[in-house]
Amino acid sequence: MIFVPVYLVFVPILAAMIIFLFQKPKMAYLALVAQGVVTVLAVWYFLTFRDDYSQTFFTFGGWNNLIGIGFRNDAISISFLFLSIFIWWMVLIYTFNAKKDTRNFLFFLLFLEGVFFGLIQTNDLFNMFVFIELTTILVSILVAYEKAGDSFRAAIYYLLLNTAGVLAFLLGIILLYYSFGNININQITTMIASSDLSETTTVRFAYVLLMSGIAVKSAMFPLFTWLPRAHAVAKSGVSALLSGIVVKGGLYLFIRISLMFAAAPYDTSMFFFAIGATTAIVGVMFAMTQKDIKQILAYHTVSQIGIMMMGLSSTDSLTFSGGLLHLYNHALFKSLLFLGAGIIVNVYKTKNIKYIRGVFRAMPLLSILMIVGMLSISGSPLFNGFISKSVIKYGLTDAQYWLLQIVNLGTATSFLKMSQIFFGPRTLSYPLVRKREYLPVALLAVACLTMGVLHVPIADFVLDVDLAKFKPISLQYVFEYGLMLGAGFLLYKYVIDKDYKPVQWIRNFRISFETANYMFLLYFTVMIGVFVVYPML
Amino acid sequence: MNPLLTFIVVLIGFYGLATSKNIIKSVFSVTIIESGIILLFLNLGNFEGGGIPIVGESLTNIVDPLPQALMITTIVIGSTVTALALMLSIKVFHHYGTVEWAEVLGRKDGE
Repeated sequence: MIFVPVYLVFVPILAAMIIFLFQKPKMAYLALVAQGVVTVLAVWYFLTFRDDYSQTFFTFGGWNNLIGIGFRNDAISISFLFLSIFIWWMVLIYTFNAKKDTRNFLFFLLFLEGVFFGLIQTNDLFNMFVFIELTTILVSILVAYEKAGDSFRAAIYYLLLNTAGVLAFLLGIILLYYSFGNININQITTMIASSDLSETTTVRFAYVLLMSGIAVKSAMFPLFTWLPRAHAVAKSGVSALLSGIVVKGGLYLFIRISLMFAAAPYDTSMFFFAIGATTAIVGVMFAMTQKDIKQILAYHTVSQIGIMMMGLSSTDSLTFSGGLLHLYNHALFKSLLFLGAGIIVNVYKTKNIKYIRGVFRAMPLLSILMIVGMLSISGSPLFNGFISKSVIKYGLTDAQYWLLQIVNLGTATSFLKMSQIFFGPRTLSYPLVRKREYLPVALLAVACLTMGVLHVPIADFVLDVDLAKFKPISLQYVFEYGLMLGAGFLLYKYVIDKDYKPVQWIRNFRISFETANYMFLLYFTVMIGVFVVYPML
Repeated sequence: MNPLLTFIVVLIGFYGLATSKNIIKSVFSVTIIESGIILLFLNLGNFEGGGIPIVGESLTNIVDPLPQALMITTIVIGSTVTALALMLSIKVFHHYGTVEWAEVLGRKDGE
């Protein structure tokens, strides 16, 4: 049963095709069956091989692994696998409707799942390109699925910008093949460690190309402009999926390529920390000024990606696992917020938070669940965001620590602004809400709390790191969080709410498509300066 | 053909993306980048007088078969992207009446 990784890719894709072929609404149940099969297979695989994944590395067709295509797993990919299975379950339950004809939607949803599992498990750089390009195509179809003008323009913006990035990634792969003679990730890792090939200009150039492609896919500054457009106009379930897990595909590539070049003498941590910090601060600045509830959440995804980059760029293993943990936590609370916001938008028929009032009176349970998500994202003690931010903070210098605090202040401010929707009189008598939509939101809230309180055993089990020194709550933490909320409230009351000219200017600031591509070239040039030209001087 | 020439084709594509103000031209630019990359990779695996890498022919002095296998896949994916992008630009034209980036992106949400 060494082929389980392959089944994980093909079960969702086959189910998607069968659902599409048989034009019966009842066929939608097959999606749940396929998802169940995937879950059972993944759990079984994990329990069988968890001590040593290396026995499951394999190459298709028994070819020599220098030329063959293979799959491999390790602790990081398995944790990604379970996270994505969980988020896909939530989105599937949220969007499931056996009475309506949703087979087109289910087709793309399940196809994306299979492709994403392939991306996680592949051990071959070219297959990585194929899978990342397929996710780009499928995501742009899912974004356009609403069939409104907004969604079509967001989809084409997303498709073309990301394809340009992915093609840069492909160019990097070609240069690596030219230098190393193969595209197997394991092989290249050992070759980099055992030779000084990585100091040649070609390999440095290839590294720059790979990383600039990844920067587009994972929405780093200044290339994040596609993310708020695409994530804000998609269906709520799709937004949760995109912000929760699909955008992490780019970060997963970042982790993989960083590990591949781990032995190379590149000085990456400073540069990527700077990029991460800028992404976080710029993202949160935009988020504070927005009025559209889904735009706010989308810009917060950008800023949280910056925080993850702050952790992932570090060479220290504890800070690195902090970044990884923040990635998992973000997937949980951002999906929760997007799904909850989707219910609210459905009921109130508007996305503008100025016109949404009295949610607490109308939907108390949903409000409590949303508040759990907001507390998690703003880093309140007892919730999961707090733990991962503390782990990242632990490895930072003083100046870096204050950068992170600025981001936290912005996050608190913007969620204080968003929490205004809970106050006010009840405007709707009996909102029509489907019970089925509540279930995933509630499960995600429980997961947020669990990750916040039981972080020590979970981190030990999944990532094999000891987090015992990070306590979920103490008087000092509560005091600090209270101080943060107070400062955030002042900032909200006296700057954001007054709607000064600069605030309006930031809110309406949009980057055109040409400028976004120009930024891409600029980013690429800066990276060449840092990683190719500077070491030669 | 010199690999540097194909690299220039890639750069022309990126220049097109950074300057063209029309959605269709942007789609073309992406296609040009892709063609440049395909030509570059085929060039790197090729040499003057190399034989065809097919089992049954003489297997001495053949060109590297891997780039050809990989680039077939890239061509397939590239045609998919082009088709999808053109379909989306038709839809954008139906909704906004234009394929100029500035006009399409300049409209307010919900129009």
